[in-house]
Amino acid sequence: MPAEVGNSSPTASGEASVSSSGNQPPPPPPTAKKKRNLPGMPDPDAEVIALSPKTLLATNRFVCEICNKGFQRDQNLQLHRRGHNLPWKLRQRSGKEVKKRVYVCPELTCVHHDPSRALGDLTGIKKHFCRKHGEKKWKCEKCSKKYAVQSDWKAHSKICGTREYKCDCGTLFSRRDSFITHRAFCDALAEESAKAETQPQPQPQPQPYPPDQDPRLTMPSPATEKPDLEPDPKVKISASPPPPPPAAVQPSATVLSSILADPPAAAELPENHPPQVLEEQPVRTNLIGSCSSSSTSSSSNGHTGNSLIAGLFAPSTSSASLHSQQAPAFTDLIRAMAQPDGPSDLGPSPSLEPISLCLSTNHGGSSSLFGGPERRQYAPPPPPPSQPAMSATALLQKAAQMGATATNASLLRGLGIVPSQPSSGAAENIHWASTSMDSENASVASGLGLGLPSDGSSGLKELMMGTPSVFGPSKTTLDFLGLGMAVGGSPNGSLSALITSIGGGLDVAATAAPFGGGDFSGKEMGRRS
Amino acid sequence: MVQDEGSSSVTSSPLQYFSLMSLSPGIGSPYPWLKELKSEDRGLYLIHHLLVCANHVASSSIDNANLALERISLHASPDGDAMQRIAAYFTEALADRILKNWPGLHKALNSTKITSITERILVQKLFFELCPFLKLSYLITNQAILEAMEGEKMVHIIDLYAFEPAQWINLLQSLSTRPEGPPHLRITGIHEQKEVLEQMAFRLTEEAEKLDIPFQFNPIVCTLENLDVESLRVKTGEALAISSVLQLHSLLAIDDEMQKRSSPPSASKSLNSNNLQRVLHMKQRTLGEWLEKDLINIYSPSPDSASASSPLSLNASPKMGSFLTALWGLSPKLMVITEQESNQNGSGLMERVLEALNFYAAMFDCLESTIPRASVERQRVEKMLFGEEIKNIIACEGVKRRERHEKLEKWSLRLELAGFGRVSLSYSGMLQAGRLLQSYGFDGYNIKEENGCFFLCWQERPMFSVSAWRFRRYD
Repeated sequence: MPAEVGNSSPTASGEASVSSSGNQPPPPPPTAKKKRNLPGMPDPDAEVIALSPKTLLATNRFVCEICNKGFQRDQNLQLHRRGHNLPWKLRQRSGKEVKKRVYVCPELTCVHHDPSRALGDLTGIKKHFCRKHGEKKWKCEKCSKKYAVQSDWKAHSKICGTREYKCDCGTLFSRRDSFITHRAFCDALAEESAKAETQPQPQPQPQPYPPDQDPRLTMPSPATEKPDLEPDPKVKISASPPPPPPAAVQPSATVLSSILADPPAAAELPENHPPQVLEEQPVRTNLIGSCSSSSTSSSSNGHTGNSLIAGLFAPSTSSASLHSQQAPAFTDLIRAMAQPDGPSDLGPSPSLEPISLCLSTNHGGSSSLFGGPERRQYAPPPPPPSQPAMSATALLQKAAQMGATATNASLLRGLGIVPSQPSSGAAENIHWASTSMDSENASVASGLGLGLPSDGSSGLKELMMGTPSVFGPSKTTLDFLGLGMAVGGSPNGSLSALITSIGGGLDVAATAAPFGGGDFSGKEMGRRS
Repeated sequence: MVQDEGSSSVTSSPLQYFSLMSLSPGIGSPYPWLKELKSEDRGLYLIHHLLVCANHVASSSIDNANLALERISLHASPDGDAMQRIAAYFTEALADRILKNWPGLHKALNSTKITSITERILVQKLFFELCPFLKLSYLITNQAILEAMEGEKMVHIIDLYAFEPAQWINLLQSLSTRPEGPPHLRITGIHEQKEVLEQMAFRLTEEAEKLDIPFQFNPIVCTLENLDVESLRVKTGEALAISSVLQLHSLLAIDDEMQKRSSPPSASKSLNSNNLQRVLHMKQRTLGEWLEKDLINIYSPSPDSASASSPLSLNASPKMGSFLTALWGLSPKLMVITEQESNQNGSGLMERVLEALNFYAAMFDCLESTIPRASVERQRVEKMLFGEEIKNIIACEGVKRRERHEKLEKWSLRLELAGFGRVSLSYSGMLQAGRLLQSYGFDGYNIKEENGCFFLCWQERPMFSVSAWRFRRYD
């Protein structure tokens, strides 16, 4: 009987065939063509071959006698022998039907030792034997998995490390389908465990943070965690003096907590306790300093989230250095304040960066130097160039009120009429005129009717847009509007009138100020009266 | 002295002073106050002349525009106060626009300009650091993401302009402290510069390793216009969030001329409220077609207010339509959009100049009060960032004009038409943002909430809008 070179095992030695059901091999007729059997069910009429372990493990069993090169197949060796001009003989496929061969594993304890569980492929049985009963000689470089079969090892190396999915339970998957399948089962377990955790804790706010975290966190304590922050910040704030910014930092350094850590009292103070805010006004910057130091202190808690302010949004050192020379006193003050605040990992310098930024904002001493209309302060005349100017938005509003922002036909007309003359809205002129108040040319000023300090009429005040020192502080920043009203009752109206008279303006040059001033004041006088 | 004069002559005198002042500002004049215009007056002077000049430019009367520019240049300066700086950049933009009438001149003058992309990126970083707007936007975005991704195990975030790692470091830190543990996070960052993405990848993977979060960063080097959504490799089963910070508006850039030619102007396609309902319920593809067609005039739902009665016309933009449709096709669980709250997409120059004046006045004011005048960084931000934006708004037309800011109401319409539903931003996001402002001592900023969207304001003027959206099926 044709058999592979090697010994035959005692159980199946050239027996005819293996029955699918039992151990008795009935001799059925050979099959017409090769077909694959179902896995686990070898062909009943196949030839069972038992090879020795040595045979199975051997690689390159066919060796060329000349150069000792090994080949796994005899055919390959024969072809190789051609190259040596040796006689070679390629075995052709035998004419008669080749009997299907199945192989059994020589290992007694193995399942495939039984002919009914024989494997249909020689390579298969070899690999099986190596995998199961062989020594694992191949090891993956990235992970510690070992393989007995080289092809297994190669296949794994390709995949190893390219895992795309990781389940909660820690299992890694390189294939999406397997991952999802696993996840479906794993999810059930995970959910249950999660539910058990979160159920006893109430979730008042719509956030994924642990409920014990209070968004109204006020004072992060230095290097200590007090999870029992009261929800009411007011109490906390009033109780603590400004310097100690420390407060409990929530265990989970989420965005929330990091932000919370930073604005301790400062955040709550202005909202809730104006009086306290006031009393701490001079320490405002210190509060900010304490914010930063609290941020540093909170970072000292070791929560990565708390380094948010420093890490995420910390201004660049350039800006810090930029401001440093401008407010050294503040910086020192804040440093001093920061000292008692507790250990700070980051040290004072990073905490100072936001401070310096704040300092620059507080440079002018007020919270908003160039605030909006409601906060305009008029500089005492004559206004030095560095004096805080009205904000651009405020200017635009004024201009709009004057009707200047509208592409006023009259404006254009005015321009068209006197191209050489810089046209401007009435307001500018009046404004400008108002600055003349303090000019030496008292006559002009008086002529303008503006330089009458004693005049406290609201009308004049409205007209005089500047120099509160002369007219008293005028908070009515809508002076322009007032001006317009005062002059003509409607800004547009006066503007138009103004513009149309541009043409005649040049001629008036000769008449000089008093004349015009007189006009102005005259009108004003008329109004007042 | 007081003289009674006719009212007609009232106006002459101030003008005369003014003329004297501007004609000979430096010469010793009998009126010493002429030398120094008070900043307020100067500011108003600048505004007026800017508008005058813009008008001339719009009507192509170049000589007049030239005169106006000259007058402005007397007082405009990039070193001065806010209004002076604004004037400087606006005049530059207007001049640039005029110069485009002589393409040869324009090209020659720009031929030796060294466009440094690193500079641009640096300046954006400066803006991030100096002003709180971006920080607030990131904060709010991250909070929205956190809330939307509660319970998700696989999260994929697409950042339409990934240049600041701090944003995602923040998110990583927040995610690591979730009660259910961090999800498996993938971030796809889109940017034109490979180096920026590499830097981001490095920082983010480093942070993720520290926090032990399974993390992957996928860089995509391309512009938003050329983005292929397939390359984003969105996998099934993962929860998708998209973050767009000041990026969407550039997709509105279209060839206006062609649009105008292809469709007859006027409201021939206006829809009344019934049609609006139908439109909103139309299938997505039909809407896409609508978007790609001509002007869509949509009456806003509340016909009561005067402003609402005027049609909210959306300039059709095929690029935007297709981009939004593509994003919609990814079924994102959340899309957070931050945009400038300003209407810079008007077709008329004057309209844009006025809007730009208002918007950038607030922006420059904001910088003025936050950063000292001498700051070089501030100047750089003003020049390289805002100056360029202003130049783009004023001097460019058509496809080149990319700074087409639109207000939130328009964005809402666009997004709703594209199949997105609004997601309300939570109060805790507002709280955190407020705390950030407090902690940094940023004064004058505040955050307003309206219909679930946030407006980042400077002195009550909304500067940026932050809104959140999600994929919505049509029923």
